[in-house]
Amino acid sequence: MTVYIIRRLLYTIPIVLGVLLLTFVLFTLVGGDISVELAGKNATPETIEEIREEYGLNKPLFLSWDSQFINHFKSALTFDFGRARDREPVIDKIKRGAGPSLALMVPMFIGIIVISVSLSLVVAFVRGTVWDVLTVIICVAGMSIPYLSFILFGQYFFAYKWGLFPVFFSPDLSTVQYVALPVLIGIVTSLGSNLRFYRTVMLDEMRSDYVRTAFAKGLTTRRVLFKHVLKNAMIPIITRVVMAIPFLFLGSLLLERFFGIPGLGYLMIEAIGSRDYFVINAMTYISAILFVVFNVITDICYAWVDPRVSFD
Amino acid sequence: MKKHRLYNTIAVLFSVMLFAFVFISCRDLSPDEQSGEMVLNHYFPSKIKSFDPILIQDEYSLSVCSQIFETLYQYHYLKRPCVLIPLLAEEMPEFSDDRLTCTVKIKKGVYFQDDECFPNGRGRELRTEDFVYSLKRTADIKNLSPNWSYFEGKIVGFDEFREYTKSCESAADVDYSRPIEGLQTPDDYTLVIKLVRPWPQLVDNMMADVRDAPVAREAVEYYGKDIVSHPVGTGPFILKQWKRGSYIELIRNPNFRGEPYPSEGEPGDAEAGLLDDAGKIMPFADRIVWRIIEEEQPAWFLFLQGNLDGKSIPKDNWDEAMTAPGELTDKMKRLNIRLEKIQDASVFFLGFNMLDPVLGSNKPLRQAINYSIDREGFIKTFFNDVYDVAYGIIPPVMSDYDPNVKQLGYADYDPDKARQLVLEAEKIHGGKIPTLKIAFQGTSTFYRQFGQFIKRNIEAVGLETELDLMDWPTFQQKVNSAEAQIFAVGGGAGIPDSQDFLSMFYSKYKAPGPNHFNYVNPEFDRLYDMTSIMNDSPQRRQLYRKMERIVLEDCPAAFLDHRVGYVLIHSWYENYKYHIFQYGLSKYRRIDMQKRAEYKELLKKIK
Repeated sequence: MTVYIIRRLLYTIPIVLGVLLLTFVLFTLVGGDISVELAGKNATPETIEEIREEYGLNKPLFLSWDSQFINHFKSALTFDFGRARDREPVIDKIKRGAGPSLALMVPMFIGIIVISVSLSLVVAFVRGTVWDVLTVIICVAGMSIPYLSFILFGQYFFAYKWGLFPVFFSPDLSTVQYVALPVLIGIVTSLGSNLRFYRTVMLDEMRSDYVRTAFAKGLTTRRVLFKHVLKNAMIPIITRVVMAIPFLFLGSLLLERFFGIPGLGYLMIEAIGSRDYFVINAMTYISAILFVVFNVITDICYAWVDPRVSFD
Repeated sequence: MKKHRLYNTIAVLFSVMLFAFVFISCRDLSPDEQSGEMVLNHYFPSKIKSFDPILIQDEYSLSVCSQIFETLYQYHYLKRPCVLIPLLAEEMPEFSDDRLTCTVKIKKGVYFQDDECFPNGRGRELRTEDFVYSLKRTADIKNLSPNWSYFEGKIVGFDEFREYTKSCESAADVDYSRPIEGLQTPDDYTLVIKLVRPWPQLVDNMMADVRDAPVAREAVEYYGKDIVSHPVGTGPFILKQWKRGSYIELIRNPNFRGEPYPSEGEPGDAEAGLLDDAGKIMPFADRIVWRIIEEEQPAWFLFLQGNLDGKSIPKDNWDEAMTAPGELTDKMKRLNIRLEKIQDASVFFLGFNMLDPVLGSNKPLRQAINYSIDREGFIKTFFNDVYDVAYGIIPPVMSDYDPNVKQLGYADYDPDKARQLVLEAEKIHGGKIPTLKIAFQGTSTFYRQFGQFIKRNIEAVGLETELDLMDWPTFQQKVNSAEAQIFAVGGGAGIPDSQDFLSMFYSKYKAPGPNHFNYVNPEFDRLYDMTSIMNDSPQRRQLYRKMERIVLEDCPAAFLDHRVGYVLIHSWYENYKYHIFQYGLSKYRRIDMQKRAEYKELLKKIK
């Protein structure tokens, strides 16, 4: 297994290099020179030139040891992304935003998995009944309603009208207080698609011969569902779950914006809006690394849960 | 039976989780109220970027920094039009007869806030050297201050200092003790400024602008690049917390010398209770909190919940707040919310790039576009019929505003005339006018709708248009590089002098300067040069109006509107009077704690 992991990690090197090259081309060559913007209104050419010097924008693009690409490469490898446009170190921004984003996304993520997998087991078990039909209808309805509507509705009723939750972030509030409503909204909005997916997975398993055999042998419902059906449904579940983990890092743009959660989703969209390439570049790079790492973890998990999958 | 047990287990689990979640989250939502402190609760729709005065560009950063830093002069809080009065200065500046030397005496006994950058953490007394040091920081090219352009060519020896900083290898090599002839400090309380030529805007631009406020050298050297988040000033408040992008909290500066509330104002101020605190020592508030709320809905809810002291009326909630312009709904009245009308010193327009081969040499085309736009309809559709139609450059709130401007220019809505002018324009162009591309500085629904409105108006007179929606930086880049053909933008006054608006048409300020129109008119330039050394006077006013007429005649823009707004204010928010320059105003404001507490009860009843 160690050899397998090492081999997979080695495969990630060209991927990360590719990401670095792509972000460099996108932000440096396509995005253009940002020094004029940074210089502000009525800036003199000297100020613009000084900014180019400060940010290394006057250096050659590729063909030098001190080129912009090599520096881009070095900064990525050392995780030293320099300072953002507002002169705060980029890494500090990311560290500060990661906490609130994860506080929002992790409970939401766990909630979605636990609820949708549990309900899908139940729904698959009672397939064809009125409960199954009703669940599917609710899921489709939930998927059809725009995400923003859930946020507006939730914020209006639960926070403003009934005062059950705070309307907006405040440092006086504990993390649980300010993420509670966004988490609930996030779970409700994502439940439809997840539940439908897991229901399909569970149904495939429920129709298998081994399930009938298990019931015929007199095993309890709980044992059949949790010991056999759930275990055999793990491959698609793992694929979906583990591959979603890197995206937790990116936070949730709309929820963070509407509830004022100072997370990374907010940071990212703000960076895009103000063309803060230093932040966008760092976020893209870290996301790419996380994605690659979790891809490897997914492959390892396959072998763990399914003995038929070999590390060879 | 087994099935039921499974359902029950899951149902009980969910119920327990949900109950715990709601229980934990809804405890103690308003700790502010329990502290008994007087807290001003504000919000910004955009984050602030820096607490270093020399790096400030946006109005929000100015608004916060002006509570921490102080300037030599400030605008009188109650008097209109704007009147400058001393703040850190002992008295108004003295000018030599040739208006080339300005002497300012500063107050004694003004101290910087306590901070770890000072020996023993105790703030030291402010000296005139601090002003010179702060100005040198703006000139130092290594600091990349966007505010240098205000000083270029104005102060004797200042440009040479900037040149010197360019020759330095690094920021550490810049010698701040290097003398500047035009910035002298004969003693710790006297500042002498020598000008290259008379500069009528000196006091407004340099002495009343937070961007030039004195900062402590010790702080700059102690915090280095992190000075952006460690402001050390002499003002009534100090920074307690800055959660970038979400929350700013200032607390009262215990070292602040205190400043009396104004004892005189305008007629009606006393009746409005604005002089009730006359002579009392400010600031009144213990804390100021700004939340950064980019979406209107949460800000509106927070306001109605009583967690914000004031709020402009969101477009989507207009009917909830107003029955007609100037008239509040019963709900607002029952909540004791009052309405304040604010008139902004701003102008918004469609700018024409005069370097564009189609537009630049075709005045009838520019006139046709002007006549094609239904400005009143535009204001009705987008701004609840509240904004003023812009017939010219200078907003009505400025003292230089020309009351006859409506008769000038081409801002009347006259599609028939526009159609005739299009035919004339086609003759000049030698055929059909190609599709005109209009750049907008945003991609949101507002800009899409705004674009559609303009497109419909212009196309109705026989022209073809294409909307080019983009983000603000891209827009800025296009306009600065003279790539945009027509661009929708606007601007506000930085000082109470209309030169701010007229400078947008001065040929020396062509793109990337503020003259995004790339407009050139030698007569306008001559008058601009002449007025730029004139003090405020009836003669200068006449010349300003003449310059405005020249621009209106040449038609490098289609002026659209001047911003007017309504702000809702809670009854507990006292001493509120709108000022076009929102600098350092929190010290005047106070909260009636009793009324604030009663509001919560009132809200419960109404809900």
